[in-house]
Amino acid sequence: MPQLNPEFFVSQLFWLAVFFTFLFVFLWRVSLPRIATVLEKRQNKIDENLSSAKELQEQAMEIEKKINDQINKAKLETDEKIKETINALQEDVSLQLSSLDKDLEKKVSDAENEILKSKDDQMKNINNEIVNITKLTVGKITDIELSDNELNKVIETHKGNFN
Amino acid sequence: MAAKDSPLKQFEIDPISNIELGGYNISFTNSSFAMLITVLVITLFLTLTVNTRSIIPSRMQLISELMYNFIAQLLSDTVGDNGKRYFPFVFSLFMFVLIGNMVGMIPYQFTFTSHIIVTFALAAVVFIGVTILGFINHGIKFFTFFYIPGVPFYMHPLLIPIEVISYLSRPISLSVRLFANMLAGHTLLKVFAGFVVSMPFFTGVFPLAFIVALTGLEILIAFLQAYVFAILTCLYINDAYHLH
Repeated sequence: MPQLNPEFFVSQLFWLAVFFTFLFVFLWRVSLPRIATVLEKRQNKIDENLSSAKELQEQAMEIEKKINDQINKAKLETDEKIKETINALQEDVSLQLSSLDKDLEKKVSDAENEILKSKDDQMKNINNEIVNITKLTVGKITDIELSDNELNKVIETHKGNFN
Repeated sequence: MAAKDSPLKQFEIDPISNIELGGYNISFTNSSFAMLITVLVITLFLTLTVNTRSIIPSRMQLISELMYNFIAQLLSDTVGDNGKRYFPFVFSLFMFVLIGNMVGMIPYQFTFTSHIIVTFALAAVVFIGVTILGFINHGIKFFTFFYIPGVPFYMHPLLIPIEVISYLSRPISLSVRLFANMLAGHTLLKVFAGFVVSMPFFTGVFPLAFIVALTGLEILIAFLQAYVFAILTCLYINDAYHLH
């Protein structure tokens, strides 16, 4: 087996040492730092993008929050306005209702007064008629001329018996 | 010396230019040439593909980054944060073995990882390095590595020698695993290649089909052995940090 022939052992070891040392030093000093820089650069870029994405997301969330706040505010304002309008309308309605009520009451009381007045008038007329009739009747039956005052007095005293 | 058409002939070393230094023969051979190609492939690939340093990688740059992350992940999984310091070494080791194996898959190309002296030298570097690291981290306490806690005391006379032997056999198992896999695979390929030639006309297609399948398997093994070499190195480094 040629592998066990020591003739070229020293030569193999020598060149192995030369080439492997060169490879090791070259990779250590040149190639690997290069790859490491590229990987680091990429990682930095990714981190940067990630952080900027995060920032943007935060900004978006802030904006969303603002929009929601504004919507809420607008809702509240609208609610307030609706309430105000409803209140104003209700006030108006109740005011008009109460004035209507007053009017009606006034009209009712007016009508009542008028009725009472006309009743009184009627009663007065009735009294006069009674006086006249009594005067005539008494005048016809007897010759006694009764004055209105006397008759009225008598009628007043007997008024309870008429009804 | 192997015979002319022996399946082992592919492992013979031929000097390209004879060099002697201090009485030692350090000829530049086909093995050294394979190492040179391996080192060139690795350095050029890793340098040129990452040349643009683009944030969005090209496909080739992505391959380099994947290799980087693969070994970085392997180290952080097995050793943890302490492992970062050994990343260049483990990465170099992985790439050297991987590309060495892959270069060996090119027909007529020499496979230097099929030589026990090469794999043993790599394993010895790992073994000696890890042992020194263990003594640096734990001092004389590193010897408690051979003492297994929670075992009945009368077992220790048996277990401590076993632990010592298993520790000392690490470089051997590490190097022989890689060497034997490469040796067996390439020998098998050569044997079947011989069948293709020697069998009567069309029947040679069958061993040829087998060679195609076997080449796929060998590429898998080439990767697998580089991976095993790297992960065992990581585990040994981890042992130097964390005793039982």
